[in-house]
Amino acid sequence: MNDFITIALPKGKLFGLSTELFSKIGWTADGLHEKSRKLVITNDAARLKFIITKTADVPTYVEYGAADIGVIGKDVIDESGRDVYELLDLGFGKCHLMMAVPKDKKRARLEDYAHTRVATKFPRIAEKFFAERGMQMEYIKLNGSIELGPIIGLSESIVDIVETGTTLRENNLEEFAHICDATARLIANRVSYRLKFDRINNLVNKLEKFL
Amino acid sequence: MAGILETPYGTRDFLPREAAAKRALETRLAKLFAEFGYEEVVTPTMEFLETLTVSDKALEPNLFKMFDLQNRTLALHHEMTTPIARLVVSRLKDAPLPLKLSYNTSVFRFRQNQSGRQCEFYQAGVELLGVSNAFADAEIIALAAQALKISGLKEFTICLGQVEFASGLMEQNNLPPDVQTKIKSAIERHDIVGLEKIVDALELDKAAADSLKKIPKLHGGIEILDAARSLADNEKSQRALDNLAEIYALAQTYGVADKIAFDLGIIRDFEYYTGMVFEAYAPDVGYSLAGGGRYDHMLKDFGLACPATGFAVGIERILTACERQGISNDARAKNIYLSYGEGNVDAAIKKALELRAAGKVVELSLIAQTKDAAEKSCAAKGYAELMYLE
Repeated sequence: MNDFITIALPKGKLFGLSTELFSKIGWTADGLHEKSRKLVITNDAARLKFIITKTADVPTYVEYGAADIGVIGKDVIDESGRDVYELLDLGFGKCHLMMAVPKDKKRARLEDYAHTRVATKFPRIAEKFFAERGMQMEYIKLNGSIELGPIIGLSESIVDIVETGTTLRENNLEEFAHICDATARLIANRVSYRLKFDRINNLVNKLEKFL
Repeated sequence: MAGILETPYGTRDFLPREAAAKRALETRLAKLFAEFGYEEVVTPTMEFLETLTVSDKALEPNLFKMFDLQNRTLALHHEMTTPIARLVVSRLKDAPLPLKLSYNTSVFRFRQNQSGRQCEFYQAGVELLGVSNAFADAEIIALAAQALKISGLKEFTICLGQVEFASGLMEQNNLPPDVQTKIKSAIERHDIVGLEKIVDALELDKAAADSLKKIPKLHGGIEILDAARSLADNEKSQRALDNLAEIYALAQTYGVADKIAFDLGIIRDFEYYTGMVFEAYAPDVGYSLAGGGRYDHMLKDFGLACPATGFAVGIERILTACERQGISNDARAKNIYLSYGEGNVDAAIKKALELRAAGKVVELSLIAQTKDAAEKSCAAKGYAELMYLE
């Protein structure tokens, strides 16, 4: 049986924070850098394999069991709709999802935005949020620079993640509705969690001490 | 004409090699079920929508629906437990108990993003009706283990849970029904972060809160039953653990105990299951291969109180797992390609009949061929042996 644990880590800001946390309990490997040219970085002695993937792909690797566990933001989990186990709130990568609108064209109530266009990287979360409030919207999926939407008249609002709010202010946008908070989570595949329970559970117990 | 060569979303073809592997697996399972005294039944592919959603209205969006001539809503069956419950209550209610029934059919669920599963997929399984004791559940577990063994899988684990354990813990803390549903849902999804948030918001004493939070982590060998016992101060949870211990003792006699792990975080579809539940997993396959459990209330929804237990295996998922474990699943026997020169048709037909009567798979050429051409045909079709009548 494959006794390695494969860990999917996302490129970007969570990468450094994740490797730092994992290395505290000795889960690391030579050459584990974000810029690594190797796609799979192995630590034979510790029976560990790390794979570095695009952020949005981490839940996919884990759902299919290609990776046993992974680190990823709650926002990405919810947007992916993937069936993965959420084992631990790692606390870092804190941000929140919200709806923002241009300051100077702000409407009075949320319902005043029904049937308008919303630019977002998170159409699934956005749709759930608005649908729960009985609102239908036109979702415009963008892959970056979401703030541009209202500025150039592509949309009336945006749904995006915010950490500090600086980008919003710089673009004359204002938070209009809070959708949910998100932090980085340790996730696991349902089969790996059971068949490799001892190692994964041990990992969770050790990580908890550092949080 | 775009589209005429495509199949609808979530459906697939089985080419000869795949269809042969599927057929071989289904034949082995059907034989096994029969050996255990389970008799096959066949129900219609479609039922009335109300029949299929009798225990769980929330299923409706995931069913394939259509209308009959009176505009009543029909749906394709999404599993076989409900149609069999309907069948038993309507047509087999006077049959001697226990009833042991089996099936092998395709089922339909509309859902996107399903790993290892199409919208139409194949299931083989059994239902054991009329007995509520642990022996019945142990027979189901033993049969499931045997089914996975004869399918050729080298490695698999059956994880066994008991939904009453979690229920007992929640009742012990007098949690209202809506909170219980939220907690069960978090346990089932193993959203441990979410579970902790829900439990923390309840302001229970620390010991009670810790017990609830620990449920999804209660995984391991028989020893975890003792760990679980110390968490639960109520009769329902204790009875659930007694039930698992009893099932395990019988599974030992059946010789399948080495395949069993306990996992009290498995509660599957909790609208439906009332006792023992299990899922089977294999390494390197990210989803469960088989699952089942006890569902003592479903038949009551059809008007006849009758305890029941059962399981189903996913045919495609097992075939995938076998492939991943390097188990060849080319079940086609291609013994002899029989060809002949001009004027030998009659002799060739007689020879073919004779070989087939002896159990060989024989393809008989439909035209006279030269020996060279016959050799080429034999190789192209993948037959083991050429027989050529000059």
